[in-house]
Amino acid sequence: MREVAIIGVGAHPTGQFTDKSLKDLGYTAIWGALKDAGVTPEDIDVAYVGNSLGGLLTGQEGVRGQVVLQHSGITGIPVINVENACASAATALRGAWLEVASGAADVAIAVGVEKMYVGDTARTIGALSSVSELDLSQMGMQFTTSYAIHPKINLKGKMKEYGWTSADFAKPAVKNSYNGSLNPLAQHRRALTIEQVVQSRIVVDPLTLYMCASISDGAAAAVVCAADMASKFTSKTPIRIASCVLRSGEYRLPNDKRLDSATVSAQAAYEEAGIGPEDLGAIELHDAMAPAELMLYERLGLCGPGEGPKLIDDGTTTLRGRLPVNPSGGLCSRGHPVGATGLLQIAELVWQMRGEAGPRQIEKRPKVTMAQNQGGLLLGQDSAVYGVTILKS
Amino acid sequence: MNLLHSSGVVMPTDPKQTPYLLGGKCSNCGTVVFPKMPVCPKCRRNGTVEDIEIGRKGRLFSHTIARFAPKGFKAPFFQIFVDLPEGPRIFSLVGAECPVEDGVLEDGMEMRLVVESLADTPENKDTLTYKYVPAAKSGKPRHA
Repeated sequence: MREVAIIGVGAHPTGQFTDKSLKDLGYTAIWGALKDAGVTPEDIDVAYVGNSLGGLLTGQEGVRGQVVLQHSGITGIPVINVENACASAATALRGAWLEVASGAADVAIAVGVEKMYVGDTARTIGALSSVSELDLSQMGMQFTTSYAIHPKINLKGKMKEYGWTSADFAKPAVKNSYNGSLNPLAQHRRALTIEQVVQSRIVVDPLTLYMCASISDGAAAAVVCAADMASKFTSKTPIRIASCVLRSGEYRLPNDKRLDSATVSAQAAYEEAGIGPEDLGAIELHDAMAPAELMLYERLGLCGPGEGPKLIDDGTTTLRGRLPVNPSGGLCSRGHPVGATGLLQIAELVWQMRGEAGPRQIEKRPKVTMAQNQGGLLLGQDSAVYGVTILKS
Repeated sequence: MNLLHSSGVVMPTDPKQTPYLLGGKCSNCGTVVFPKMPVCPKCRRNGTVEDIEIGRKGRLFSHTIARFAPKGFKAPFFQIFVDLPEGPRIFSLVGAECPVEDGVLEDGMEMRLVVESLADTPENKDTLTYKYVPAAKSGKPRHA
């Protein structure tokens, strides 16, 4: 396998963009990435386009990738449409990486795009529920509920098991809202306090409104090429993809002793990249509900069981800490346009590694970073998709 | 009234028999799954999963009150996971006889299966599914 580098990234801001279509959102991200990489549409050999809800919400059920790319001047190449729930974009990146790593293509683009504001919130929530297995969604299961009581995370149960409090759950939301307040691309740019998060209205006990990602429009893209060709296109620091892991969830029975799937996928990514958690300089992780970040700390190997809140209390994962987590603001502040999120994470890490992140730039420019993206829910008591990408400069 | 197809609940024709869930038991490794599937998720054998009646009672694993509902449901409503004595841990809603209030449910409590409308909404009132209620309460089972 050849070494693959990300040479350009682009993103459309996240938020409500009533007048913009999937094509418009995608255009901004795609041309942002093309220009950043110093390539033209003719240089792109193959494209992977991630989108989750566009069929149900916009009515464009098929060929969304070709539609979005044609609007941006990219035609006459293999286009692969990727639907993988909230991890569609991480999956698109893996496809682009694999094309170049295998030698099948020299230059590839991965795009993630999502349009969630369609003037009917109930319809959007319904579409979002439908990215879980139908047996669950038609019984009324929602993502918010799943974070609260689903066996795979069971935040409510963690209050008993770990002694975590509502204030602990608010900590990642507060930290990430500060980061988001510094990010011009972010959907929510107000730094929140613990009190504001705890006292916002209850969505599903123990989660409050400011602990939950809101619906969002947005897009992101990354151009990748063979690492030894990067200098042909750009003088910017090429960001190498050290590992790109994708796993489906396991069917878990109540006494399943196997390691959690987020843990297993992170371990595989560390091993493939030849690094450990101690080598990381920044992480963008999947905090669709902010308190999930506390659980992910242990699953990514950053701390022991129940120690998550300490990493925020002692400043470790804050923007000025040793290992900043979600410098972009994460899913709750930066925004979670579901099929774009995985590449929004990648764009943020690339900007941080190049020192281009503006007011939210991590002081000690990170050399090794991780993006962790997941999505969907299965009957077998696991998420459907787990994606972990490790980048090195 | 129609049974929610994927819910796997069975209403016996004999009125003396109570409803149950149609699960699957692997004849090779003994694993019980719900809903039934053709391949055992544990030993991965194909064609070894046989019908088994399960779920008449269970124990509450976790619960919460959802304050917002997707289309076709009414908030607030309980959402729960129940451990069935036969093995599976399943997602469920709570029967209407149980008031939606904090403190009504407690993890670990005994639950029993009821069959009723999926939700009291135009979309779901005519669809029957399984739900659970606290076993200790002597509420009248709402069989349709």
